[in-house]
Amino acid sequence: MFGRIATIANNTVREAVRNKVLYALVFFAVLLIGVGVLLSTLSYVEQERIIQDVGLSAIRLFSALISIFLGVGLIHKEVDRRTIYTIVTKSVARWEFLIGKYLGLVATVWMQVIVMSVAFLAVSYLTGAPIHAQHFYALLLTAGEVAMLVAIATFFSAFTTPMLASFFTGGFYVVGHLTRDLKQLGSQSDVESVKTAANVLYRLLPDLESFNLTVEALHGLPVTPAEVWFPLLYGLAYISVVLLLGSVVFHFKDFR
Amino acid sequence: MIDRIACVLAVALLATGVDRIHAEIPSTPKSAKGEAFVPQPQLAKIASLGFDSLASDYYWLQAIQLVGGAVEDPSAHGYTIGRLVDIVTQLNPHVGHPYRFAAIWMTGSENDVRFANELLERAIENHPSDWRNYFYKGFNHFYYLAEYPEAADELEAAAGIAGSPAYLKRLVPRLRSQSEGLEVAAAMLSELHRSAPGPAARVEYEKALDEIETERRARMLDDARERFKKRHGRDIEQVEELAVGPKRVLRELPPEIHGWEWMLDNRTGEIVSSYYKARYQVHQHHRPGLFTPSAKTAKTNVREGSEQ
Repeated sequence: MFGRIATIANNTVREAVRNKVLYALVFFAVLLIGVGVLLSTLSYVEQERIIQDVGLSAIRLFSALISIFLGVGLIHKEVDRRTIYTIVTKSVARWEFLIGKYLGLVATVWMQVIVMSVAFLAVSYLTGAPIHAQHFYALLLTAGEVAMLVAIATFFSAFTTPMLASFFTGGFYVVGHLTRDLKQLGSQSDVESVKTAANVLYRLLPDLESFNLTVEALHGLPVTPAEVWFPLLYGLAYISVVLLLGSVVFHFKDFR
Repeated sequence: MIDRIACVLAVALLATGVDRIHAEIPSTPKSAKGEAFVPQPQLAKIASLGFDSLASDYYWLQAIQLVGGAVEDPSAHGYTIGRLVDIVTQLNPHVGHPYRFAAIWMTGSENDVRFANELLERAIENHPSDWRNYFYKGFNHFYYLAEYPEAADELEAAAGIAGSPAYLKRLVPRLRSQSEGLEVAAAMLSELHRSAPGPAARVEYEKALDEIETERRARMLDDARERFKKRHGRDIEQVEELAVGPKRVLRELPPEIHGWEWMLDNRTGEIVSSYYKARYQVHQHHRPGLFTPSAKTAKTNVREGSEQ
């Protein structure tokens, strides 16, 4: 079972790295990290913070874009090329295929995150901006956030077209950063049903803000272990649920 | 072949045209015209989609443009600066300098100064161990609002924080007892000048210090004028009389620091510098950008004798 998943994951990585869009996005991310140096000169104070702010934001934004662009076509491409028929009629279970695809894509996106992180650290080092543990925590959680986003993209990719999947995944990304505001707004309402609905949505939708340690990294604020490990644990659990749901949907999908 | 060359030439021509037209578009930033769209902080937070600190930087750069851009009197845009800094500090309350930036430039009206103090209050909440925020708040209370007990309270808090200058402790009792003094204003302005982050702010403080030094010399001449009256039984007709003749009261006139001269103001009869043509009053700032204090403030600002 693990061998089959690993093979599919391996092939997914090989296929993904051939995608030119991926390189274009990574190029622009690295470019933006460098552009942060120019932007910072517009301010006469806190320039190092601005450089790092632009850098960390570029990593978060472009890794999310890469996850969505690559993730949404994950299954559809196989169906379009009809390779899915040969794979699922062999001894590969559909869920194994889905998980393999997911892991391959996560590995690809993580490679890009590493490339962008190296660029970020290099720019920080060259400009004399301080680098401390919080930066590494922030980057680690960015990796966790994109793993979650890839799982959501994989889920939608399992049953809908790339266009719709990108729309839904993008929507989840946006909403995922607003769930805390949603919860807060709901708690201020006098209507009990609104409060309950806001709370249910908060629990149901991904809380992507819990993966955001940018401010802590920029200002060297203290980060407790719970702020790092619980989001990662939460991400792992959420990914498991989403992939399980995706596997169920994928199991019953009719490819005709 | 000719077709291709024609195509390339056409593209080059069009591109040049586009570039020329583009160059004609006025590039003055909207913020510099005071037309900056400044959204509600809550709206800006939602629209930032998790990139709060990046959005904060964006609004910070907009605020800086108002001071470093094509604006002649930045403090006239105090309210816009305040709203921008409000967004900056709500999106990322851990920033340091923007709070004090607001305090430096929000001097156009009493409301601006009070708004700046609210922002400084947020700074104190987020940076309780940074004495500068207390100091700036105290300065605003003292210099612009003439609220001396509040100013003394803020300076006392600043003085109790590690790393604050030792003279703050000495300023507190002076503020409590004799809140009008030029020396207090000079000491506070010197500190602000020393720690001013940019040339524009530094120039503003240099102007204020310059006025204070001129005023200090003018007050020396006031003292001499009183002695002259006692000695001669009459007032002077020209300032030079103080340092001429056998019964002169001064060996020489203190130099006017700009190389100009001392004169009697036709309207008020006061000794003034021909450079400023008016006397400086600690809490009544006539320079552009510095507002005239409220009635309550003006009432308490009786200058005479406060430094004697």
